[in-house]
Amino acid sequence: MRGYFGEFGGQYVAETLLPALEELEDAFYRASKDKRFKDEFDSLMKDYVGRPTPMTHAKRLSEHFGLDVWLKREDLCHTGAHKINNAIGQILLARFMGKKRIIAETGAGQHGVATATACALFGLECIIYMGSEDIKRQHTNVERMRLLGSEVVPVEAGSATLKDAVSEAIRDWISNIDTTYYLLGSAVGPHPYPTMVKYFQSVIGGEARSQILERKNCLPDAVIACVGGGSNAIGIFSAFIDDPVELIGVEAYGKGDGMHAASISFGVPGVLHGAYSFLIQNTDGQILGTHSIAPGLDYPGVGPEHSWLSTTGRASYSLVDDSQALEAYALLNRLEGINPALESAHAIAYLGTYAMKNKGKTVIVNLSGRGDKDLDIVLEAGI
Amino acid sequence: MIAESIAKSSQKVIPYITAGLPDLETTGQIVDAIARAGAPAIEIGIPFSDPTADGPVLQEASHLALKAGFTMDALFSRLSEWCSSSHIPIIVMTYINPLLRKGMRKTLRRFKDCGISGIIIPDLPRDASGVYNLCSSRGLALIRLLAPTTKRERAKEILGQCSGFVYAVSVAGVTGPRDDLPDGLESQVRFIKGLANIPVCVGFGVSRKSQVDRILKIADGVIVGSYLVKGIMHSHDPVNAVTSAYQDLVE
Repeated sequence: MRGYFGEFGGQYVAETLLPALEELEDAFYRASKDKRFKDEFDSLMKDYVGRPTPMTHAKRLSEHFGLDVWLKREDLCHTGAHKINNAIGQILLARFMGKKRIIAETGAGQHGVATATACALFGLECIIYMGSEDIKRQHTNVERMRLLGSEVVPVEAGSATLKDAVSEAIRDWISNIDTTYYLLGSAVGPHPYPTMVKYFQSVIGGEARSQILERKNCLPDAVIACVGGGSNAIGIFSAFIDDPVELIGVEAYGKGDGMHAASISFGVPGVLHGAYSFLIQNTDGQILGTHSIAPGLDYPGVGPEHSWLSTTGRASYSLVDDSQALEAYALLNRLEGINPALESAHAIAYLGTYAMKNKGKTVIVNLSGRGDKDLDIVLEAGI
Repeated sequence: MIAESIAKSSQKVIPYITAGLPDLETTGQIVDAIARAGAPAIEIGIPFSDPTADGPVLQEASHLALKAGFTMDALFSRLSEWCSSSHIPIIVMTYINPLLRKGMRKTLRRFKDCGISGIIIPDLPRDASGVYNLCSSRGLALIRLLAPTTKRERAKEILGQCSGFVYAVSVAGVTGPRDDLPDGLESQVRFIKGLANIPVCVGFGVSRKSQVDRILKIADGVIVGSYLVKGIMHSHDPVNAVTSAYQDLVE
């Protein structure tokens, strides 16, 4: 069915939003077939974002784990994370649709910064919803968004993190449907968002696949990426879906039992923010608070396509906790001179577990963002 | 049953209250008091952690009710009593996730067994025929919402799978009091009346007698939520507060 991945996905939204989703879907399909639209996206990816991003052969890290590790360097994108790929793609779509007011949610602030950047580039009004808890944790990104000319609106409701920022953005959208474009940052939400975000993020996988074939002359054994909502993961997985390559998503296990954000590993399917997917919820269907040291992973749901990849067995989803992520953050700094985002450090940390049974194998890790934003958190943790 | 009650009642204002605010005991007393005040039906909202279609008042109401320990089992232990003592149709409003988590079939049957007349789900999937069929076969009305943005074809599709009454959303927005309702409200209601063979009730944004009067010139009923719930939240005597707020709207 349209907009579904197996039973997952769909459009579970207030009736007011439905025509806006139809308009968006229609514009997206027209744009994705429009040569000028694609050319403009490609040229911005090249000359503004800095694509293709490099594929770094991490030699000392490889030696450390007894693996052959390659890093897809999304941390080198303009603004410091993969989020800009989707933000540029959707901002072009917003222009294509004639929308002048852009709203977005942000957790770690990376999507907020990317959206604010894209709005600055095109002179569009930009409002970013951010949980007040995240504003405290990621204040440098808040300052960046303000410098870029965006308004950052603190969200106090609920747990005051990413989930509540998404809810508030949805409420804004319902209330300003004619003028406003909702630039959703992850592969979550109602159709067509998961499909559209994957489309713009699949540039990561496309490049990674050709780069590894060119450099190593073979496909990797595995591709590893962290999963919150799952946009960087779906972006890199998309190119390897039909290959004999293991796809591994890494969820945030936080502080462990009851204090994590691992929706696929511990959740039950349900509806949040317009789609049916794995959710961290209680037996009454109330969404529960989550925890991860990485604000970008601190979300009780996950993109519906990941739920489908998990139930079909095409991808597997593993766990890395806060302290493992912190260790990996330090490790990558020390061994490779690369400072990863705490989100991406989850994927690096999983190499330890992977290496136990897979010595000598070739893996690509999607290094989804850089870690300057996390210095306060890391220093506070005593690393 | 809901449609008949709206038709024969002299009052046309359907109150919405959040279940478990401040506790279920009080919710029961409010149901009784409002039924005695002549309401044609009552809409009881099940609190949800992430109510994306609700404005600040009903968000806070959900939050407080959950904090006070609301559970579905506790609600089910009271519903039958409320239904039998109030003598008017009780309608349940719930986001879809609690239904999915508790089991859609089982939960709809439990509602029916308690005497619930209808159900409102603001985030139904685009194709809601599965839920509609389950409701129909159990004798529950599925009350659907039509937004100001809903186009003719979609409106017809929804009305083909809608019973009890149709809920016309007055504003493109979330729930909560508005100073002014849209100018286009009359034409929106006329458009829906032209397609519907069940009562048309208008909700969202209503908090004044003048707004109620304006709506009742064209519609069969009006739903008032946030305005009443605010009364419950900000009073030491919520039963009297909400009853007198209700009476102010209907007198």
